[in-house]
Amino acid sequence: MRARSRSTEEAMPLSRRAFVKALGIGSAGVFAARRDAWAEVAAQATSAPPPRPLLLHNNENPLGPGQAALDALRSALGAGEPAGRYVFSRVGELHQAIAERFATRPENVVTGCGSTQILRAAVQMFTSPTRPLVAGDLTYEECAGYAELIGTPVRAVPLDRALKLDLPAMADAAKGAGVVFLNNPNNPTATLHGADAVGGFIDRVLTASPDTTILIDEAYHDYVTDPSHQTQVKTALRNPRVIVARTFSKAHGMAGMRVGYALGHPDTIRRLESWEGSNALNVAGLVVAIASIRDQARLDAERDRNTQARQFTIDWFARAGFPATDSQTNFLFVNIKRPAREFRDACRAQGVVVARDFPPFEKSHVRISIGTLDEMKQAVDVFGKVLGVKAKAA
Amino acid sequence: MLLSRRSFLDAVGLREAGPLSPAVVAARGREAAVAAGAPALGATDLPGDPAEIRISSNENPLGPGPAAMRAFVRAFEDAGRYPTNARPSMAELRHTVARRLSVRPENVALGAGSWELLRTAVRLYTSSSRHLVTASPSFEQPETMAEQIGSPVRRVPVDTDGRLDIDRMAQAARWAGLVFFCNPNNPTGGVHGARAVADFVTRVRRESPETAILIDEAYHDYVTDADYATALPLALEHPNVFITRTLSKAYGMAGLRVGYAVGQARTIEAFNRWAITFNQNSLSVAAAVASLEDPEHIAKERARNAEVRRFTATLFQDLGYRVLPSDTNFVLVEIGRPARDFREACAKHRVLVGRDFPPFGQTHTRVSLGTLDEMKRAGSVFAEVLGKRQK
Repeated sequence: MRARSRSTEEAMPLSRRAFVKALGIGSAGVFAARRDAWAEVAAQATSAPPPRPLLLHNNENPLGPGQAALDALRSALGAGEPAGRYVFSRVGELHQAIAERFATRPENVVTGCGSTQILRAAVQMFTSPTRPLVAGDLTYEECAGYAELIGTPVRAVPLDRALKLDLPAMADAAKGAGVVFLNNPNNPTATLHGADAVGGFIDRVLTASPDTTILIDEAYHDYVTDPSHQTQVKTALRNPRVIVARTFSKAHGMAGMRVGYALGHPDTIRRLESWEGSNALNVAGLVVAIASIRDQARLDAERDRNTQARQFTIDWFARAGFPATDSQTNFLFVNIKRPAREFRDACRAQGVVVARDFPPFEKSHVRISIGTLDEMKQAVDVFGKVLGVKAKAA
Repeated sequence: MLLSRRSFLDAVGLREAGPLSPAVVAARGREAAVAAGAPALGATDLPGDPAEIRISSNENPLGPGPAAMRAFVRAFEDAGRYPTNARPSMAELRHTVARRLSVRPENVALGAGSWELLRTAVRLYTSSSRHLVTASPSFEQPETMAEQIGSPVRRVPVDTDGRLDIDRMAQAARWAGLVFFCNPNNPTGGVHGARAVADFVTRVRRESPETAILIDEAYHDYVTDADYATALPLALEHPNVFITRTLSKAYGMAGLRVGYAVGQARTIEAFNRWAITFNQNSLSVAAAVASLEDPEHIAKERARNAEVRRFTATLFQDLGYRVLPSDTNFVLVEIGRPARDFREACAKHRVLVGRDFPPFGQTHTRVSLGTLDEMKRAGSVFAEVLGKRQK
């Protein structure tokens, strides 16, 4: 459904595309007049901003939210008045929609300003100066960053040789910890642990350290294609010591709209909710999230689109002699055999933005987000020049 | 002018004589849904019952201005980009705030509404041994946070006009971690002039130099009192003095969650360190930047609100009830009976007024200001529910 090339996307801003689509529907005079009100908006919204570089540094979905979700937003906000209202009731609607998606109840759901707010709440509620955080080294840094702010010690567990989270070592470190953070698939290494490994890890931690909360961040779940993968949502719903966090920022294409959620046992969810409540949620994000969580077809299409672009890029690097990890996400972690910084600066000069340094791998690896297939075709041309790969060889 | 509300309603053929009718205002969501050819919405997706008058949360009944909504729609394109990558970006919003206030970006911290900034301030400056000073009643977020982290709270009653009791707050500030000074004060509505605020800050700085002072100016844009001025110069002059503002009130963006704090760079740096990661959303950033570049719209909104405020104060006074002086978009009215009884009676007529505000819950009600037309309709409900006050 999203086969349009990037160039078409850029030629016609989303708002305009939505509007054009709307024109094809309905014919009564009054409807036409109503559309004219939006026509005025759309017409004024066409001063296209200058072209920007290819953004392959923040693991965003290059297509943004689905069209249906944006239509829902435009409809819900009308000429703007609801944007002036506090969101109160819509938070409940989103919790209901998420609960329906997972065949559970709203008491099992908490939402936040991105999953980041929920990760922070978990660290806040379940760690302390005497109950450390356990996290991989390297993994998504939100939890460790917040732990440092509030004075919670962090036990950083190095990755294994395959650049995967070292589950046995993390389970050992979890004894007496407040929270163990499991990012699966793991950002920035893109690696996954299958359901058996994760299940075994959970059992081991719960047995050895029954007061430790296991916080599983499945931000990239919707991009996984490895059949050994399974979400841990079911475990989280029945076990107060397990939380699964998800985000609308990745496959749902809503990085700009700031909505994340977590699923868990009602007792755990209540504690997360009690810390900051829903005051940071915005109405636009809520409306789009409600529509997006109900649009599984769009998610499936997005996974397929990403898988294709991902495979193309992995293959290109493999042929060029630069191995990437087995990515189960919308980014690659590639061994470019040189400092990321040199590579990044050179790519930036040619209009492609790749990610920052990720120590301790900054001398050898770079993280590259997956854009559209067209974008990746452009990007590998640049990568080839920067890495000195002959076109034929690649 | 683009989609001014008027042209929008002209276009949809629903404009009625006189001010916007709430029915039309509330129904706009449905109109737009039809216009967009979007799937039919469930009843709960709509802004509310068209006949309902929501004057309970100090919201701007008209929402963001037209320039803001135009920018908001344009930003749909960047909904998939983090607010650091969106155009305009979070950084540009910070710069815009700074430019409008003639300060530097380092003096500005953004929040997901000022709510987030108030909480951060309480975390940064209070502890189990450094108490929070606030007024009673005042906006509760700071004391809620203090209770969550175990910081003691000293509540200083407002004066008989519902204004912050400056003298007693200054006394309570000795050895305090933080003073929360909400000016104008929510839920009472009263404001202190520039001189009084400056004297307060000077006194606290002298008598308790380690105490931070947060001057919350959420209702700044609604103030009409000629003696009032922003405390911004004080925030720039003194370390650990800062102001907070929100775009939830006059800017009509309560649903979009944009607020900011301003102070010395070193004070502000801590707010940014503690901020929720990506606490802005890309669409709100665009709307906020456009709003801040359109001060004329805010001036109009202030005038509109002032007219409604006069009308509403008069209507309660005509019924014999005292209205506390207000420089905001709400009034606190001494109804001489429990707020809850009044609220429930009004709700039966689909007029939603404010919740209880202890210690005034048994005697006062807070009524937010809707459109003039809404207040006319609400006024007849108030008259019916309250009756003329018996002398």
